[in-house]
Amino acid sequence: MLNIVVMIKQVPDSSEVEIDPVKMTLNRTKARNVVNAADLNALEYALRIKDKVGANITVISMGPPMADAAIIECMARGADRGILITDRAFAGADTYPTGLTLAATIAKLGNVDIVFGGDETTDSSTGHVGPGVAEFLGIDQITYAKEVDYEDGYVIATRDLEDGDEIVKVHTPVLVTVLLNSNVPRHQSLRKKIDAIRKGVESWGINELGLKPEWVGLRGSPTIVRSMKAIKEPEHLHKTITLDKIDEVVADLVSKNIIKVGGK
Amino acid sequence: MVGLINAIPVANKDEYKNVGVYIEHRGDDIKRSSIEMIGIGKQLARKINEKLICVVIGDKVDGIAKEVGEYGCDIVLAAESPDLAEYRTMPYAQIIGDYIAEYKPNIFLLAATRNGRDLASRIAVKERTGITADCTVLDVDENRTLLANRPTYGESTLAEILCRNHRPQMATARPGTFTPAEKEKDHKYEIVKKKVNVDKSLLGKQILKFIPKKATDLTAAKIVVAGGLGLGGPDGFKLLQELADLIGGAVGSSRPPVDLGWITRDHQVGQTGQAVRPDLYVAVGISGKPQHIAGMKFSKVIVSINKDPNAEINKISDYIITEDYRKAVPALIDAIKNFGKQKVAEAQKA
Repeated sequence: MLNIVVMIKQVPDSSEVEIDPVKMTLNRTKARNVVNAADLNALEYALRIKDKVGANITVISMGPPMADAAIIECMARGADRGILITDRAFAGADTYPTGLTLAATIAKLGNVDIVFGGDETTDSSTGHVGPGVAEFLGIDQITYAKEVDYEDGYVIATRDLEDGDEIVKVHTPVLVTVLLNSNVPRHQSLRKKIDAIRKGVESWGINELGLKPEWVGLRGSPTIVRSMKAIKEPEHLHKTITLDKIDEVVADLVSKNIIKVGGK
Repeated sequence: MVGLINAIPVANKDEYKNVGVYIEHRGDDIKRSSIEMIGIGKQLARKINEKLICVVIGDKVDGIAKEVGEYGCDIVLAAESPDLAEYRTMPYAQIIGDYIAEYKPNIFLLAATRNGRDLASRIAVKERTGITADCTVLDVDENRTLLANRPTYGESTLAEILCRNHRPQMATARPGTFTPAEKEKDHKYEIVKKKVNVDKSLLGKQILKFIPKKATDLTAAKIVVAGGLGLGGPDGFKLLQELADLIGGAVGSSRPPVDLGWITRDHQVGQTGQAVRPDLYVAVGISGKPQHIAGMKFSKVIVSINKDPNAEINKISDYIITEDYRKAVPALIDAIKNFGKQKVAEAQKA
């Protein structure tokens, strides 16, 4: 039977993030925590492979203890096992130690055929963790997949690139990152949710993974944030214009050399 | 394969010199985003009197290597093999890793296209160094430290990120962020070509098919005319296209029309679409959800056409036209068409 790992992350729900009307900044504190949307698309493809040929699906996530809710949700959709990678030492990690910690988890699980993840998370959107994990594990990767199938030891997937669709075939083991909205994730089932809560989420820390404290989290991160500053945004006129005054808009755009008028 | 191992500071940072850029291409065409990276790479290198080194990988790359030199690159590293005709992660990452080991660049940049992202963090991990994604401002200080600035969530804050002790210092930028390099007459450059024997173990990925698609690159557009749910249906985009054609713009969309199938996804502006910063952004029937605003709020002039006077987008607009777009867009088209004529008529009267 195939062993599949799905990497997920709990993030603030971006559709609930409110805009501060005065500062025009985003207020994240009111948002609910959800499973990163593309990770659910990744889980769905894992479940389709399970439906087709049978598989053990393990969902892993690095995060604070409360992220176990996200893992339970994935088990309620059909994943078999959930592991939360949680330790104070992991806090403040950039993409390098994040990838290292996830790869160490996958290596400890052993004999993994396919590693799935979302193409990127909505809260940091680097898309860097997936390929990083593949490099740590020394396996090939398929990124930005919008269709994924499995047949006789191979993953066949369609990569969505800016200038076209690329159809690739890679023998397992392979890491696949799945494009947001590329499928419709199945619903949670109440029975599976009850099973998941009974079964519970395992919790692994730095000792279980055999990593050194100076390798992970903030200490293990090659990059540091030196400063944060509010982005100075362009000033806007906020002028209300009625249709009989629409010439004013055109005149302004012409004077700023943005549009040209008077014949081509 | 790097193994399960930590990032490692380099012993002697002075051994690392020059700015490296990975050049992405499809066939004989260099991606515009890579020419943008040459632009910023050249700027950084010249500021600290170092060289710009570009990496070109493919089957036959003489033409591209020459063009890269003409854009102002000092040393073009060209790796050729029939096995490298198409981009594949494993062999490309290996070759770039080998070049980095040999040439020890202080800074290494890639465009954050999908294949650029596919490659970037893989190389960072291979080199046991740090990388900052999607930078909008890149600078270098007198200690040759890369100052990598990237917007954090929602583009409300700019974080300055440093990679102090690891080399190379890596960064990516989204297409459309930097100005493309211009060709320099008489620029002297050197092409170092190498025929590569690619290890067969790296060629496991089979590319069965590539189906090209027409993609709308909104990031290069100076004017974007975008529609939202307020258009009420796919036909509204025809009117927007008419306006866009008149003023040399491209047609964009917020997410709902894309989800409803009124327009294809390559037109989507916003957090899950393209991020644009044109001179003019005309938002038609767009309410202004944070996800959309994040992708267009750096537009110079914003015109909002919306029946709702309280649409969120009005708060960041220069001109607010509270009207049915079916009336307002044709009025705007007429005003543009007749603007010059009116002037002439007035002048004649006077």
